[in-house]
Formats: sequence, C-alpha cells, structure tokens
Amino acid sequence: MSDVTVVHSRSPRLPLVAGINWEVLAGECWVVTGLQGSGKTALLETAAGLQPYLEGQVRVFGTHVQGAEGDELLRMRRRIGLVFDGHGRLFGSETVFENVALPLCYHGNKSLEEAFEEVTSFLKLMGLEELANQAAGRIARPWAHRVALARALILRPELLLVDNPLSALDATHVRWWRTFLVRLLEGHPAFGGKPMTLVLATDEPRPLLGIGQKFAVTHEGKWRCLGGRAEFEHSDDPELRELLDERD
Amino acid sequence: MGLAGHWALDALRSSRRIGAFTLIALGTLVTKFGASPRVIRPRAQEEIVRAGVNVLPIVCFLGMALGVVIVGQTVLLLVQVGQTKLMGPLLVTVVVRELAPLTAAMVVLARVGTAAVTELGTARAVGEVEALEALGIDPIHYLVVPKLIGFTVSIVCLTVYMILSALVAGYVVAFFRGLSMEPLEFFQVVADALSWVDFPLLALKTLVFGVLTSMIICYHGLADPLRLEDLGRATTRTVARTLIASLLVDALFLPVYLLL
Repeated sequence: MSDVTVVHSRSPRLPLVAGINWEVLAGECWVVTGLQGSGKTALLETAAGLQPYLEGQVRVFGTHVQGAEGDELLRMRRRIGLVFDGHGRLFGSETVFENVALPLCYHGNKSLEEAFEEVTSFLKLMGLEELANQAAGRIARPWAHRVALARALILRPELLLVDNPLSALDATHVRWWRTFLVRLLEGHPAFGGKPMTLVLATDEPRPLLGIGQKFAVTHEGKWRCLGGRAEFEHSDDPELRELLDERD
Repeated sequence: MGLAGHWALDALRSSRRIGAFTLIALGTLVTKFGASPRVIRPRAQEEIVRAGVNVLPIVCFLGMALGVVIVGQTVLLLVQVGQTKLMGPLLVTVVVRELAPLTAAMVVLARVGTAAVTELGTARAVGEVEALEALGIDPIHYLVVPKLIGFTVSIVCLTVYMILSALVAGYVVAFFRGLSMEPLEFFQVVADALSWVDFPLLALKTLVFGVLTSMIICYHGLADPLRLEDLGRATTRTVARTLIASLLVDALFLPVYLLL
C-alpha cells in the first residue's frame, strides 16, 4: 500500500486511516493493532479488495486492487483468506460442513458428496469434526470463529488476514489459535509446508507478541509501522503507550 | 404537484437502478452459464421447488376459483344471450392472455418473493455477501442467478397450470348449470380462438414477469444498503414496485394483442 487512505465501510467518503505506506513480504507475520473503531477491519477489507479506498495505491500479488474487476478481482481474492471478526460472517442457515465446503465446491465445481472426504479431513485438522452437521448460526462464537478460519483456509491461500483472532476466547481456544497460527507461519504440512503470510488485526496485541514479527498501529486516523517485537515493546511513542496503558 | 414530481423522479431513479441490476444479472447468467454447475444447478432446482412446486397447489386452487367465478359465469351468460361464438375469444383474452400470467406472478411474489427479500436482505445486513466476495464467489452468480432461473421457470409453468385449472373448473361449473357442450367441444372452441402468436407472446410475457419479479426482489434484498430494521420497508416496497411494474408490462402487451 502506498499513501492509502482507507474509508469507513458504511460511508465511502469518510476517511478512517490516512497515509498508509505498508509492504508485507511473503512469509511475514504482521500484527496491526489499534483501539476499536480505529480502522483495522477497514484496512483488512481494503487489502482483500472488498472495500474501496480514497487515495493511493493498493497492490496485492502485483495486481492493482482498484483497477481489478470481475474475474481478475475474484481470482486475486482466492489467493487471500480473510477471517472476519465475531461470528466470522458464516452462512448461518447452512451447516458447518456446508460453510467450509462452499469455496471448494464453487471453485472446484464439486458436489458436496465429492468434497466430503477433503472437507471432513480438513474439519478434523481444525478440531471441528463434531460440529460438522450443526447449523453455523447456532454454534458458540469461539467455534464459529474457528469455522471461519477453516472456510478461509480451505482454498490454501497465500495470504491470511485475520480480524481479532484472540478476542473473547477462553484459554483453551487461545492456546489452539496461537499454536495453529505459529504452525501456519512455520509452514503447516497440510498447506504444502510453505510458510503462510499472516496479517493479524487486534485491539489487544499482547497475546500475539510471541507470534508477530512486525507491528503497526492505527490510532486517531494515523498509521505507524513500529518495526519488530523489541521496537514495539520498548517504543516510547505516546500514542502506542496510550493504547497499551488503556489495557492495564 | 411537488409530491407527484418527487414520486415520479424516485420511480425513474429506481427503474434505472433496477434496469442496471437486471443487465448485470443477465450478463452474469450468460457469461457464467457453465461455471460451477454442481453448486449453481442444485440451488436453481431448489428455487424451482420453492417458487414452483410448492406454490402449485395454491395456483391450482386460485385457477379453479377463477374458473368458477369468471369462466363458469361468462360461459353461461353468453349461452343465455345466444353469443356462444364469443366464448372462445373472450376466454382467451381474459384468462389466457391477461389474468393467468398476472395472477401466477402475483402468487409467486406474495408466497415466495417476500421471504426472498428478507433472506437476501438479512444476508446483506449481516455481512454474508461480503463473506462470499472474500471467498472469490460472485454474489450475483451464487445468490441472484438461481433465483432468476427459479422464479422465471416457475412463473412460466404456473401460468400454464393456472390456465388449465381455470378452464377445467369453469367448464365443470357451466356444465352442471346447464351448458350443453361436450368437454372436447368446449376446449376446441378455446383452441380455435387461439392464434399461433398467442403461444410465443404468452411465453414472452411470463418470461418478462419472471425476470421482472426476481430482479425487483433481488435488487431490494441485495443492492440497496440495508440494516436489519429496514427489511420490513424493503419488502413492502418490493411488493408495490413489482405490482406496478407487472401492470405496466401487461399494458405494453396490449397494443400487440389488439393487432391480432
């Protein structure tokens, strides 16, 4: 992203974060932090090509997001996995199995029966096999968030964007997420063993300190890249201190 | 005057948007005709069952009611005044050309269309549409095309069933009230009154009703930015606009029928 201004999703003319200059290299893990409503979600959706932006240029895998249209944009999105916050925007009336199978069936032109084996083993990998036949709208939030992760990963994306991965989770789920994200970063055998590029947006960065390699903050409409973990932890940036101190 | 002008401008703006939305949906239908058939085909079949098969009993019932009320009485009246030669043209004009297509479209709108607006509007409001886009799935292809196919096929087929049930019920009522005509003779009279152009015109009219109904429904469910609390208003607007649009389309066919 160069000199990008992301906007509010419901008001496309309202700037949310301006002056974003950000380059994510393959295999990196970025943690983007900021208070709630500071534009982290809008930033992820802009990077995924879901939301228009006001100024600057966004290029993902070398493709200009704003200029991409139709099939080109859809092809680009297939290389990106996006996990939404909360219930993960699952298709509530469909089962967990159908939710996870949908991208595979649609892009691979498979029926649910044909995708059964692959999806079942994928659900097992994610610890979701017992929920397979439950309606996605009725499962608890921590599980729904994990189903959303499974749905985003089933197409084996190269870049994974996760919105608030550890919010409102109990210790067991937090442990599972941290272990799984680290394995993705190191190169999970189920995803070809190649390190996956991760961008994690969070309003509580501390649980992700052990995973993140680079850190950035959105605060009061401004964007700041903070560098590695040491720089992040020892930064005397008043805005970052304000953000971290509010959590204490 | 100000209010009428405002209403007219609003109607024009909406027509333009719905027209653009229809072009996009038809374009998607054509360009992605063979894409992901194992996902899209079952969804289209599901829509045909929902808007067609499940609605068939009520359409047949309404067709019979129409037959009893209109066909039966008209036939007897014509017999009483000695104008039986008008029976065929009258039944073709009233039942085949006008009432059946319009009623079938309205039944589908009332029975399935309103639910579809809520379903699509909810998907939009809770972010499921963005989730589809994030997965590289074209929401028009996945959500709108099956409804376009399902509603259109259903309205075309239901119109045929409505015509048949109206004529059969009308004949039965007229027969029991003293019509001295064999069933075959009755249907021959109706068939003679039909010209060959009636068939393509009826197909075209019902196709247009199907496309129009499905597009107005999908537009109001998907294209307008919605919050959950706006759903009720969107549904009411859909019913009103589909009704008006269908009557306008019906009026457009009138000069063609007058030339026949």
